[in-house]
Parts: sequence; structure tokens; C-alpha cells
Amino acid sequence: MSHIAVKNLAVHYDGYCALKDIEFEAGKGEFVAIVGKSGSGKTTFLHALAHFIPFSGEIAVPKNVGMVFQHYAVFPWFTASENIGFGLGDKSGNERVQIVREHLKLAELEDKKDKYPAELSGGQVQRIAIARSLAHNPEVLLMDEPYGALDAYTRDKMQQWLLDVWATHKKTVVYVTHDIEEAVFLADRVLVLNHHKFTKEFMVPFARPRHEEVKFTPEFSRLRKEIFESINSFEG
Amino acid sequence: MKRFLWFTLPIVLTLVLWEIISRSGFVSPALFPPPSKVAVALWGMITAGTLFSDLRASLWRIVAGLFVGSAVGIFIGLLTGRMKSFANALSPIIQILRPLPPVAIIPLVIVWFGIDDGAKIFSIAFAVFFPVWINTHIGARQIPQAFLWGAKLLTASSMKIFREVIFPAALPFIIAGVRTGIAIAFIMVFVSELAGASSGLGYRISITHLAYRIDEMIAALIMLGALGAIADQLFVFGTRKLFPWIKFSSK
Repeated sequence: MSHIAVKNLAVHYDGYCALKDIEFEAGKGEFVAIVGKSGSGKTTFLHALAHFIPFSGEIAVPKNVGMVFQHYAVFPWFTASENIGFGLGDKSGNERVQIVREHLKLAELEDKKDKYPAELSGGQVQRIAIARSLAHNPEVLLMDEPYGALDAYTRDKMQQWLLDVWATHKKTVVYVTHDIEEAVFLADRVLVLNHHKFTKEFMVPFARPRHEEVKFTPEFSRLRKEIFESINSFEG
Repeated sequence: MKRFLWFTLPIVLTLVLWEIISRSGFVSPALFPPPSKVAVALWGMITAGTLFSDLRASLWRIVAGLFVGSAVGIFIGLLTGRMKSFANALSPIIQILRPLPPVAIIPLVIVWFGIDDGAKIFSIAFAVFFPVWINTHIGARQIPQAFLWGAKLLTASSMKIFREVIFPAALPFIIAGVRTGIAIAFIMVFVSELAGASSGLGYRISITHLAYRIDEMIAALIMLGALGAIADQLFVFGTRKLFPWIKFSSK
């Protein structure tokens, strides 16, 4: 039984076609990455999944969806713990405090709970954003290039952190990135988006838990190259 | 210490130069009294109690006018900035009123509301409204979509989104608008006290002009300037204390 099912999806902006003929499925607990060039429609796809924008076709997603953005990921006027606690108002005081504490720990920011985002590093801010989404216990987590603005070293560390978090929470994840290495390292399956439609699908065979070392294996390089070629050779 | 010196030295030098010029005989000391005479006049105003009552009268009008004008400006600005129907309905009216120099309404306000505090507070509020409204409007419109989308996934309460996302996201603009409003409030209080007032620093300046007391006039001008500078600094200090994240937001 698929957790997300998309049939015949198309998105148009003022006459411009941003997505067309999109068929997509993701199983419960699956980690799917979507790669493609800028402007191919990756972000638009996530926005449609979250029902932020009008679309035609069918999208079936669970009700409780979380999203992590690359920019404006957290509220700069709230501290780390206030950000994580945002929107937990329906919970009782104690429960809320407990959830915030747990997710601060998850984000490894217990000692920075009263800091504002501008006082934290880019990686710490993205960890707050991810922890904030998880605090609502979403069934599906949509991630839009969450590490796009981070330097390579921080990104490597954050990828490992995300895999650890994912291993414990087992959310269904749709992860958009332009970084093929990141997609292969994180995902169970990588989809290539070229000119507004999915053109290719790659299964990622590496066992979990995965660690950095897998990136240096020949299988990893080969898969990376295949995906790279499927993006670059496409003439649409 | 160095900062203190840089702050006080120009003031002291100006006063000394002013004293020398006034006493040099090149200018009429009656028209251009030296600072020592102004200080004596100021002391006289303090001991007579007029300075305190003038300050209190002007300050009350400024604070009340600023509060009313800002509150209405923020409220309308958030509505027109976030809701298209409000913007369409209100923009033509506001755009016609906006190019009007606010001081031009004072005669009408006097006819309508008389010469008591209410009239002056209305004039100030009217003038303060526009910069606060425009800034709030722009601030509410430029909110990144990701904030609003993100908030919508995290809470179903639109009241909460308005209070905890839209308002703070527009706040840096709102604060800039109110700060402009403070400067305008000082212009308006002075002009509105020139005509039809019996107290206030503007009134004091206008009657010292009639009484030819240039020393008292300059003393009242200095007080008005100092009050404006203090109000602005207090506002900046207060916003930093209340919203500590704003000073970081330029990063």
C-alpha cells in the first residue's frame, strides 16, 4: 500500500507548464530523493504534494505532512525552543515541554535552546527546522534542498545526522536536492526530473545503516555517474 | 571615555563659540543671546514651573497621538498588506489623503474639534498614521511565502499565524514606520501648538516670540530638540529590549 500516490499530475503557472504527466508513488517509511537541474520543477512538485499550489490530477498524501525549506526554514523571531514548540498549542503544557525537550535533544541543541536563529550556524538552523517538523509527528516529511546553503563539510555531517534521525523515526521522506551524491547517500530510490517530468528512476542498493565510507566505493561512483548522465544527456 | 569625549566635545565647543560671537559685539545680544543667558532663562522657566507644565502638555499630546496613529496604522497596514479586498477598498482613499501635507488639516481640525488636547492629538495621529500604514503594508506584503506555508502546516489557527508569524515578520518595517512617526509627531505637536494652544513647548516658543524673549525661545527650542532626540533613542532602546532578534535580522 503506497503512502503517497500521485496520478497524472500537472501544474501550470500563468500559462507556463511547471510539471506534466507526473506519476509518483512512495511506500510507507521510504526515503525518495528527487534530483534535477534548476527549473526542472523539483520544488514545484513538493509544493503540489503539500497542497500549497493549485494543480490538476490526483494527489493522495496523508493528512499530517511536514516540510523543511532551504530558505526561511525557521522563524527568526523565535528562539530554538520556541521554534520547535510553535504550533504545539493543542498539547497540554507538560506534554509540550516534553516534546520540545526531546526534539532539542534530537537537534543536538539543548545548550542553545534560548538562542535566536541568527546566533546559530546554518547547520544548526536546519536541524531546528527538521526537529520542528518532527515535533508534529508528521507521517510524511517533504524536504526542499534543506542543505543547499551549507558548506560541504557541514553537509556531510548533517547527512549522517539525518540518516540517524530517519532510522529512528522511519518517516516517509521526499527529499529534493541538486546534489546527486547526497541523493544516493540518503535515499532508497532516486528519481530524475527533467524538463517538468520524471524521466528515470534508480534504486539505491546500499545496505543501511549507511556511513560515509560507502561514498568512496566503486558502486557508489557508478550509480552517481549514471544519474549524472541521465540528467545531462536529456534533451527535452 | 573616548565616546563620551566625542559626544560632549562638539557641544562644548559650539557653546563656547556661540558665547564668544554673542559677546563680541558683531551681533545684537538681544537677537542672539549667549548660551549663558539662555541657561539663566531655562533656569527661570524651570523654577517658575512653566517648563515642566509645557513639557508635560506637549509630551502627553505626542504620546497619545503617536499611540493612536500607530495603532490604527499598524492595524490597517496589516489588513491591506495581507488581504487583497481590503487593499482594493482602502487604497484609493488613503492614496488621496496621503499627499496632503498633514499640517494643512490643522485649521479644519480646529474648526471641528476646537483647541483642546483632543484636536491636537487627532492632528498628530492623522500625520503619524501614514508612514506607519505604508511601512506596515509593505512589511506585511514582503513576508516570504515559506514562513506562511511553514506556519500553515504547523498550526490550524489563523489567529496564531497572524499574531506569531505575520506580525513579527512585518515588525522590522513597522518599527521603521513608527520611528518616522515619532519625528512627524514632533513636527505636528509644535505646529498645532502654535495656533490655538495655552500650553506646550510650541505655545511657549510662539509667545516668547511675541514677548521678544529670544533667550526663552532658544531655551524652549533646545528642550524640543532634546526631547525629540531622547524620544528617538528611547524608542530604539525599547525595541531592542523588547525584540532582541531584530538587531540580528540584518545578517
